[in-house]
Amino acid sequence: MAEVTDLILSVLRQAWLALAGGLAAVAVLALLSQTLRAAAGSALSARFWVWQAISAGAAVLILALFGLLGAPALAQAANQALPGSSGCGPVAELGALAAALIAALVALRLLRTTFAAGGSAPLSGALVEAAEAVFGMLLASAATPLAAHFLGAC
Amino acid sequence: MFDPIMEQIQSLAQDAWLFLIGLLIIVAMLGALYYVLQGTAGAAFGGGRMTSTAILGAVGIVILVLFAFLVLPRLGELIQSLAPGPPF
Repeated sequence: MAEVTDLILSVLRQAWLALAGGLAAVAVLALLSQTLRAAAGSALSARFWVWQAISAGAAVLILALFGLLGAPALAQAANQALPGSSGCGPVAELGALAAALIAALVALRLLRTTFAAGGSAPLSGALVEAAEAVFGMLLASAATPLAAHFLGAC
Repeated sequence: MFDPIMEQIQSLAQDAWLFLIGLLIIVAMLGALYYVLQGTAGAAFGGGRMTSTAILGAVGIVILVLFAFLVLPRLGELIQSLAPGPPF
């Protein structure tokens, strides 16, 4: 079970690295694009366009900082805040595996939502997904062993 | 597993960066030329306000181009250095 967990987690770690690199690259390109927009607005004497480009550039910078600094911290906090799984035997191992996988998926979903927040999705979606995934982790790590204990498996 | 995808994203991003830089140079040069023309016309017809607006506009474009060429690469390096390891 531990080997399977490590294998799946290594794939998810690679996905995390690719997503974080992509987020950084897209954020830099978006900043350059907003600078181009500001230059074009300045050349056309379009003041509103310039202010819009400046505020959009600042928003992109804030989103990138949230994704690269806030998302890992949130994922770690959610991971550490949960109690260790109770139970015995394979049920406890299964609960631990499910909790580890859900924690990894939470972090990836959080980063992906931040990535999408630069487009149309709202940033609050990332936070809602984080809360949703924390409940999933709670269920997987605590409720499954409790149910097994209730049914007399332990 | 994700390395080929990452390489493709990086090559696309590099192409986009070069394209945007080229576009920025063209737009900045056209804007500067427009402001030079406006300033010259203002100076020729005695339009002090027109000339000063043109000078300010040209200075604004120069500041934006300097920001793009000097500050943005440093900002990009900063953002890339902030890319975190997996928290799980």
